[in-house]
Amino acid sequence: MNKIIVVISLLLVSWLQAQENTSTPDSLEVVVIVAAKKSKIETDLKMAVSVDEYLASSDNISFIKRGSYAWEPLLNNMSTERSVVTIDGMHLFGACTDKMDPVTSYVESNNLSEVEVKSGQEGSMHGSTVAGSIDLKRRSTPFGLVKKWKGDYQTGFEFNNNQFFNFGNVAYSSDKLVIDGSISSRKAENYNDGNNKEIKHSQYNKFNTSLGLAYKTGDLSSVRVDAIFDKAKDVGYPALPMDLSLSRALITSLAYKQFFEKGLIKVWDTKLYFNTIEHYMDDTTRPENLVHMDMPGWSTTYGFLSKINLKKDNYSSEIQLNAYDNLSIAEMRMYPQDRSERTMFAYSWPWVTTRYAGLSINNSWDITNKSQLNFGGSLGVNYNYSKYVEFNWIFHPGAPQEKTRYLPNLYANYQFHLNNFNASVGGGFGHRAPSVSEGYGYYIYNSFDRYDYIGDPNLENEISYEANVSVGFTYKNGSIQAKANYFYIQNYIIGRILSAGSPMNYQSVGVKGYTSLDYSTLFNFSLQAKYAILENLHWNGTLTYARGLDDNKNNLPFIRPLSYQTSLHFKHHKFGFLTSLNGDVEQINYSPEYGEDRTPSYTNCNISADYTFQIKNKKTVVQIGAENVFNNYYSTYADWGNIPRMGRNFFTSLKINL
Amino acid sequence: MKKYIFFIATLCLIITSCTLDKTDYEAEINTEVTEYFEFEEALTISSATYKVSIETLNASFFKGYNEIHLKIIDTQTNESVKGLPITFLPILTDANGNKSSCPHLYNLEYNEEEAYYKGYVVFTSESDTTNNWQLYIDLQDEEVNTLNEVITVESQTNMNLNMTAFTGNDDEQYFIALIAPQSPGVSENDLVAGIYKYNQPTTSEGEFPDLSQYSYSKVEGYTLYLDPRMPEPSMGNHSSPNNQDLTQGEDGLYYGVVNYTMTGNWTLNFIFKNENGELIKGTEVSTDFTPGIEGEKSELYIDILF
Repeated sequence: MNKIIVVISLLLVSWLQAQENTSTPDSLEVVVIVAAKKSKIETDLKMAVSVDEYLASSDNISFIKRGSYAWEPLLNNMSTERSVVTIDGMHLFGACTDKMDPVTSYVESNNLSEVEVKSGQEGSMHGSTVAGSIDLKRRSTPFGLVKKWKGDYQTGFEFNNNQFFNFGNVAYSSDKLVIDGSISSRKAENYNDGNNKEIKHSQYNKFNTSLGLAYKTGDLSSVRVDAIFDKAKDVGYPALPMDLSLSRALITSLAYKQFFEKGLIKVWDTKLYFNTIEHYMDDTTRPENLVHMDMPGWSTTYGFLSKINLKKDNYSSEIQLNAYDNLSIAEMRMYPQDRSERTMFAYSWPWVTTRYAGLSINNSWDITNKSQLNFGGSLGVNYNYSKYVEFNWIFHPGAPQEKTRYLPNLYANYQFHLNNFNASVGGGFGHRAPSVSEGYGYYIYNSFDRYDYIGDPNLENEISYEANVSVGFTYKNGSIQAKANYFYIQNYIIGRILSAGSPMNYQSVGVKGYTSLDYSTLFNFSLQAKYAILENLHWNGTLTYARGLDDNKNNLPFIRPLSYQTSLHFKHHKFGFLTSLNGDVEQINYSPEYGEDRTPSYTNCNISADYTFQIKNKKTVVQIGAENVFNNYYSTYADWGNIPRMGRNFFTSLKINL
Repeated sequence: MKKYIFFIATLCLIITSCTLDKTDYEAEINTEVTEYFEFEEALTISSATYKVSIETLNASFFKGYNEIHLKIIDTQTNESVKGLPITFLPILTDANGNKSSCPHLYNLEYNEEEAYYKGYVVFTSESDTTNNWQLYIDLQDEEVNTLNEVITVESQTNMNLNMTAFTGNDDEQYFIALIAPQSPGVSENDLVAGIYKYNQPTTSEGEFPDLSQYSYSKVEGYTLYLDPRMPEPSMGNHSSPNNQDLTQGEDGLYYGVVNYTMTGNWTLNFIFKNENGELIKGTEVSTDFTPGIEGEKSELYIDILF
C-alpha cells in the first residue's frame, strides 16, 4: 500500500508541477494524463482479483471473513466503525446490521483505478477517523487521448468454487467528451475446504456496472456524471445464520472541476452525490433455523464535497469541505411457529439519521529537499437523530433523540531522507462518533460471540492518540522498511454483557451493550523487504505483528497474530512466474470474552504463471495458477465462527486489451 | 446538458423504487389495536323528571375496565342537573337467575368543570343469551328516582385492556383490569391497572338490591410485581429490561412501567402481594432463555397483543 501512497504523492506533486509549468489551454489534458498513470487493481499473484483480494495484499489491512464474499476490511486491526471508507471521497454506508455489506462490496475491481489507504489521523480528510481511511478511486479516462476508443475484456474461471467471471471496460475520449463504462459479473458456487468438504452457503452472484460521462465545459473546467450500479443475489454467508437474497446499490455523483492557471489556487473540485442501498437478508435457505425472520435494511446518503488545492513554492495544501446526510433503517420481523399468529416486529436501526459536516486540511511543506513536514486536521460536526427513539429508551431510558458531537482531528508527520536512509515520525489526535449500530443498534445479533448487541446513544466520542514511526534503508538491489504505530484510544467502544434484558434471537446467549472502556491500546508493526536477486528475479517479504489490549490488559478481538508473506517473482521474456508463501503463526493472544479461540498456525503456498502475447496486435495475457497448493485445511483468526478457508484452488484468466 | 438532466431524472426514478417496501411502523402497531379516545353516548335512560345519558369510550360497554360519564338533564327545565347524589350499580343475572355484580364506583363523583358524573365499572363478562347485565341508577333529590336498563357488554377486542379475576390466598376475590396503554409501542409504556376486591357480605341477602351483597372496593397499598415475557416458543421466554412493578397512585389506580421490545404476543406475569408483603397470588416464572419452548406463565397473568 506504501506503493500507492507514494504514487499518490508523486502524482500530486507532478500534477501540481504540471499546473505550474503549463500555461497553455491544454493543461487539463496534461494534468489528467499524468494522473491516469495509475497502478492497476491486481496483485502480484493474480491479475483478476476481487477488491477484497486486492486490499488483502496491503500490509495494514486484514479481513473478517464471513464466507467468500464481502469481507470486512480491518485497517490497523480496527473494525470498520473506526475507519472511513469512501468511493472517490463519497460516503456510503452498508445497509446490513450484520456487516454483510461493507462499502468495498459495492464496487468491482474493474471500475476502480486505485485504492488509497491512509493510516491513522492522516486519513481524516473525508471524515473523522481513528484507524485511517480507505478511498476507492474510480476509473476516469482523460480528455483528448490520441486513441479515442479503448477497452479491455477479462474472463476467467476458478476451479475450487466454479467461479466464472467476465469483466469488460470501454472508454471513449475526445477533446470535449469522455465516456467510461464498465460491466462485470461473477458467479461462484460453494467452495471446498482443505479436507475437500463442501462449505455450504458459500456461493455468490454479483453484477456490477458503471458509467461515467465527462464533458469539458471550458478550457480549464469540466463536469462529470458518474453512476455505479451493483447487485448481489443469492449470496451465502456460511459463518452466519442467514444469507443474502438481494442487495442493490446505486451510487451516483455529479462533479464540477475547475483548474486555475495562475495564482495560489490550482484546482477546485466540487461534487454532489447520492447513493442508496437496499439489502435483504434471507433465512429461507436455512431450514434448520428455529425462527424465520425477515431482516431488510436500507441506507440512503446524500452528500456534498468541495475541495481546493493550493500551492506556493515548496508548500502545498488541500482544503476540503464535506457534508453528508445518511438515513439507516433496518427492520426485523420474526414469524411465530404458528404462522397464523401475529408476527413480531422491531427496528434494529430505528430510522437513524447521521449528518456530518467537516472542514479538513492537509498541508505539505518541503522544508529542505531532504525533509518534508505533513500536517493537517479536520473539524467536524456530527449529528444523530433516532426517529423511533422509544426503541433506544428500552435500554437507555431518557436517552436524547438528537445528539450533536464535535469531532476534531489533528496530525503531523515529519519525513526525512538522506542517501540510502529514510525515516519518518508522526503523531495524531482525533475523535470519532459512535456508528449507527454502536449508538442506536437494537438487538443486533452477533453470531461470533453469540450475543445480541444494544447501542447506547449516550456513548462518549472515542478519542485516539497516535504515534507512528518508520525507518527504511535501500542498498543496491535491496530495500527494507520498518513501520510501527501505536494507538491509545480513550473511551474505546466495545460490547459488554448487560445484566438487564434477555436475548431476542434464538441462537443468542445474552445481551451485550456497547459501552466505553476507559481506554485500550493497539500496536502495529510491519517489516517489508525487497531484493532483486537478478534483473528478472525479485524477492519480496513482509512480516506484520499487532497487539491490542483493553484497560484490564485483556486482549482485544480480531488482532492479527504474527504473520508473514514472502514471494519470488521471475520474469523471462513473455513469461512470468510467481510463487508465494503466506501464513500466520498460532494466535496466542486471543480474546475468549469476544468469542475467540486459539487459532492454530497455517501456511499457504501459491503459484502462478502468465504469458503475454498478441492477438491481431492486441495485447493479451493468459494466466494460470493455484492458491493453497498443498490443499491445507485452515481457518484464520478472523474467520467468523472458524469457518474453514478455501482448499486448493486452480485459477485461470485471460485479459485482452482492445 | 439536457441529456445529463434527463439522465439524472431517469436515475432518480430508478432510485425511488425499492424492491421491498419499508414497514409503516405507525400502521404496524395499530393493526391489532383499536384505540378509543372519544367519550360518546352509549345509552340514554329517561324517567319522569330526568334524562340520563351515559357516555363511554366508543359508545359501548366492554368487558374489562370502562370509565363512565353520566350527564343528567332535567326534562322539565332541559337543564343539566348539578351535584346530585347519584348511585350506580351493575347487576349480572345468569341463566339460573342468580344475581351478582362487578367492581364499580357506587357513588358517582360530580365533575364541576365537565358537568358530568364520573364513575367506572369493570365488567367481568360479556352479555350473551344467558347472562345479562342491568344498570341500576338512583338519583336522589327530594325522593329517590330509580332508573334501570339492560345493557349489552361487548367483548374487548383490544387485548391491552384485558382483565383477570381470581381468588387470592386470603380467599378474597380480586380483579385486575388493564386501563392503559391502549396502544402500546415498542418502547417504555406506562402501565395502568385498576385493582379491586369484592367485599364479602357478612349478612345473608336481603331485599334486592341489597347493597351489602354487591360491594366492591379499590385494593389499597398492595404491590403488583411485573415480569413481562413473550410466550411464543421461538422467542424462548424473552423478556425486557427496566420494567417497574405496579404500585398505587394517588387516584387509587396502580401504576408501573412495562417495556415491550417488539410487537407481538406478550404475557404480563404478576405476583400480587399485600401491604405486609404477603403473597396473595402469583408464582415466579423462569428467567431462563429456552428457545423452542413456550414460556411458562405465572398463575396470575394477563395476555396482551399489539
